[in-house]
Amino acid sequence: MDCTKCLERLYSYLDRELAPAELTDVRAHLDDCGGCEDNFVLEERFLARVRDSCHEDVAPTELRTRIVARLRMENDSPR
Amino acid sequence: MATDPFESEALSFLDALYRTALRMTRSEAEAEDLVQETYIRAFRFRQQFTPGTNLKAWLFRILTNTFINQYRRKAARPETTELDDVEESILYRHMRDVSPGSASPDPEAELIDSTLSSEVKDALEALPEKFRTTLLLDVEGFSYKEIAEMLDIPIGTVMSRLHRGRKFLQKRLYDVARDRGIVAARAMPRPAD
Repeated sequence: MDCTKCLERLYSYLDRELAPAELTDVRAHLDDCGGCEDNFVLEERFLARVRDSCHEDVAPTELRTRIVARLRMENDSPR
Repeated sequence: MATDPFESEALSFLDALYRTALRMTRSEAEAEDLVQETYIRAFRFRQQFTPGTNLKAWLFRILTNTFINQYRRKAARPETTELDDVEESILYRHMRDVSPGSASPDPEAELIDSTLSSEVKDALEALPEKFRTTLLLDVEGFSYKEIAEMLDIPIGTVMSRLHRGRKFLQKRLYDVARDRGIVAARAMPRPAD
C-alpha cells in the first residue's frame, strides 16, 4: 500500500470501519511510514478533541424532571 | 411507583440526546423542546421498538427525524447546504505557520490541544445542517451504517459528509487559532530598536 491509498483510508481506519484485510494493509504501511503515522496520530487527536468538546454538555436537571412528569401523564392517559 | 425499565433505560441517554439537540438547534430552549418531543414520541411508539435491539440508536433516529422535519418546515429560506471544498492537507501543512518560532516540536498537536471547546462547538454550529447532523451522530459513536439508516442516505454519502465536514472544522479552527495568534502577537510589546 502506498501513502495515497493509506491516507484515503485514514478516516475509515480511525472510525473503525475498515475490513480486516484492509486494516492489516494500513497497519503494515503505518509501521513503515512515519509521515503517514504522524498524520493519523494528529487526525485522531483532532477527532478526540471534537468528541470531548461535545460531550461536556449535560441536560439541565429540570428538563429531566419535566420529561419524567410528562411521561407519567402519557402512561396515565388512555391511548 | 415501580420504575418502568424502558423509561429508565431511555432516560440514561438524556445527556447524549440533549447535547446533540443543542448543537443541532443551536438553542437551549429549542434543544429542550426537541428532546422532550423525542421522549414523548418514543413512548407513544414504544411498541415499535424491538426489545434487545439498540435503544440508543432508536431514540437518536426519532430525535434526528423530528429535528429534520421541524427544521426544514421552519426554514423559510433554505440555508446554504453545500460546503466549499477545503484543501485536503489543511491540518498538516499550515499549522506550523500558526506558532512560528514555537519551541514545541509538535506545533500541530499543540494547536489542537489549545483549541477551546467553545471554538469547536462554534465551528460545528457553523456547518450546514446535513453535515452538522452527520458529524454529531458520529460524535455519539454511531457506525457509518447506523448513521446511513438514521438519515436514510447511502453509506458513501455518510463518509463524504464526515470527510468534508471534518476538513471544514479543521480549516475553521485553524483560522480561529491564526487570528488568536495575530491578536496575541499585536499585544506583545515591540522590541526596542
